[in-house]
Amino acid sequence: MKQIQMTKNSSFSLISTKKIIQMNDVWTSYDSKNFALEGINMSIDRGTNYAIVGQSGSGKSTLLKLLNGMMIPSKGTIKVDYVTPNMNDKKFKKMMHTIGYIPQSLGLIKNVTVIENILIGALPRLNKIQSMFKKFPENEIKEAKRILKLVGLSGKENRKAYMLSGGEKRRVAIARALMQKPTILLADEIVSELDHVTAREIMDLIADAQKRMNLTAIMVHHDMQLALEYANRVAVIKDGQKILEIGVEGDTIVDFQTGNMTTEEIKEMYANDSQK
Amino acid sequence: MTPKNNIVIGIIIALLVVASYNVDANPVEFVEGLPNLAIVIEEMLVVEPKYIPTAIWAMFETIQMAFIGTVVGVAIALPLSMLAARNLNNKYVYAPIRALLAAIRTFPSILWAILFVIMVGLGPFAGVLAIIMYTIGFVAKLQYEAIETIDSDPMDAVSSIGVSKWQLIRYVVIPESASHLLSQMLYMFDYNVRQTSILGLVGAGGIGFYIINYIKFFEYGKAAVFMLIVLITVLIIDWVSVKIRDKYIIKSQHGMEVATQ
Ligand SMILES: Nc1ncnc2c1ncn2[C@@H]1O[C@H](COP(=O)(O)OP(=O)(O)O)[C@@H](O)[C@H]1O
Ligand SMILES: [Mg+2]
Repeated sequence: MKQIQMTKNSSFSLISTKKIIQMNDVWTSYDSKNFALEGINMSIDRGTNYAIVGQSGSGKSTLLKLLNGMMIPSKGTIKVDYVTPNMNDKKFKKMMHTIGYIPQSLGLIKNVTVIENILIGALPRLNKIQSMFKKFPENEIKEAKRILKLVGLSGKENRKAYMLSGGEKRRVAIARALMQKPTILLADEIVSELDHVTAREIMDLIADAQKRMNLTAIMVHHDMQLALEYANRVAVIKDGQKILEIGVEGDTIVDFQTGNMTTEEIKEMYANDSQK
Repeated sequence: MTPKNNIVIGIIIALLVVASYNVDANPVEFVEGLPNLAIVIEEMLVVEPKYIPTAIWAMFETIQMAFIGTVVGVAIALPLSMLAARNLNNKYVYAPIRALLAAIRTFPSILWAILFVIMVGLGPFAGVLAIIMYTIGFVAKLQYEAIETIDSDPMDAVSSIGVSKWQLIRYVVIPESASHLLSQMLYMFDYNVRQTSILGLVGAGGIGFYIINYIKFFEYGKAAVFMLIVLITVLIIDWVSVKIRDKYIIKSQHGMEVATQ
């Protein structure tokens, strides 16, 4: 964060490398009638822990799918590290390994061991032919074991993924994403179904990895409380529109639309909103 | 019962009567023919034990034919199923492959056998080729359907890492559909043993060749030995595949249920 603040007023090139994600008036839809997202503007600094909060169906998952190129906008522009996300585009394909994506349901391979699930994250940088025989280089296996330890799953490497608890499955999904050596981590409500203690363990784990690897994390949350606790930016999405974007610094919250508010006021506002 | 259901049932009964008339299906003839069956059974009961070794050997040949046919057929069906799956390919790839597989499936194995007897001559090789073709047509279809029902989340999650298509197949598609494939292989082998047992009728080797020849010369006692061996073998294979299914497939499918909770 310090570094980023220092670059605020320095030369143009430094300022421009600061923004890792830029969305400009982005509209998208699944069918011809309704828009899932309507005119989203978003600008995210490198290294930010960015939270997206909103009710179910508001368009949070859609937003992440636009960032990892699984969907393309019907209108507007998106840049992720200066490349337009589109998984059918050669240029973007080459940088997909730098984006770790954890879908809401995690997307683990159930009948396969923990370590193999994690090693999948290394596939883009491996020899294509060797990988067909599930031959992994020593250093990659070492790296996978290191990450396994980091996420607190040592000793469980040969467990099949379906045998794990909800919290452990999330750790595997995080480990697979970290194995990619990503610069961006997209996580879709990965702690929503967990109890408070486990949810915080997982969030701490991500915060820790973020510091170590200088990651930009964009996490979708259902719970405003958790978002305020961990993120330094929170965007609230409602019916496909961004209705609020706030910066969190200690106990003060900077609202970019309505001026300064306290944490309590924001929480209250969100609580009223979700009661409607 | 709604009136609509009654109409449907009425139509089915009407079709049954018309079709029976067209194929000369007459219950009276069936009843009158029962004494003939009694004669056949009576002659069959005079089992000739000295033919048992030959029958076992013929059965062994049949099993080997079915085995080769199943293994080679599945090996060819697997890549074809990858190309025929709609969630892995665009329509210019999957549409022609599907059409080809549908064409292969229109032939029952006995017709393939006739075709291959003409091509490569009488004997088990023609039978093996017939079983291969039949297996390709069916396993490829079952397998591409299994691939299309794979959960899209692991597919999306792993695709978005930026892996190659072959890596996606190797690390997601195959593990996620492996239990289906094993189940299909067992089922197909079981089914192919039965099929191979009758391919001898058209001269394509296997135990059916003996059975049809004895029946032609009214030697029901000898035919009975061979039929008995087929029966026992099929029962054993059935029993073994149930065991394997219980041990490997049910367990892993149970695992999948646990995982989706
Ligand atoms: N695959 C899909 N096909 C059609 N509509 C979809 C699909 N996925 C999401 N939607 C619609 O898009 C809107 C936003 O969905 P989503 O981004 O999943 O919301 P959230 O993640 O905030 O719950 C919803 O109205 C939802 O019904
Ligand atoms: Mg969602």
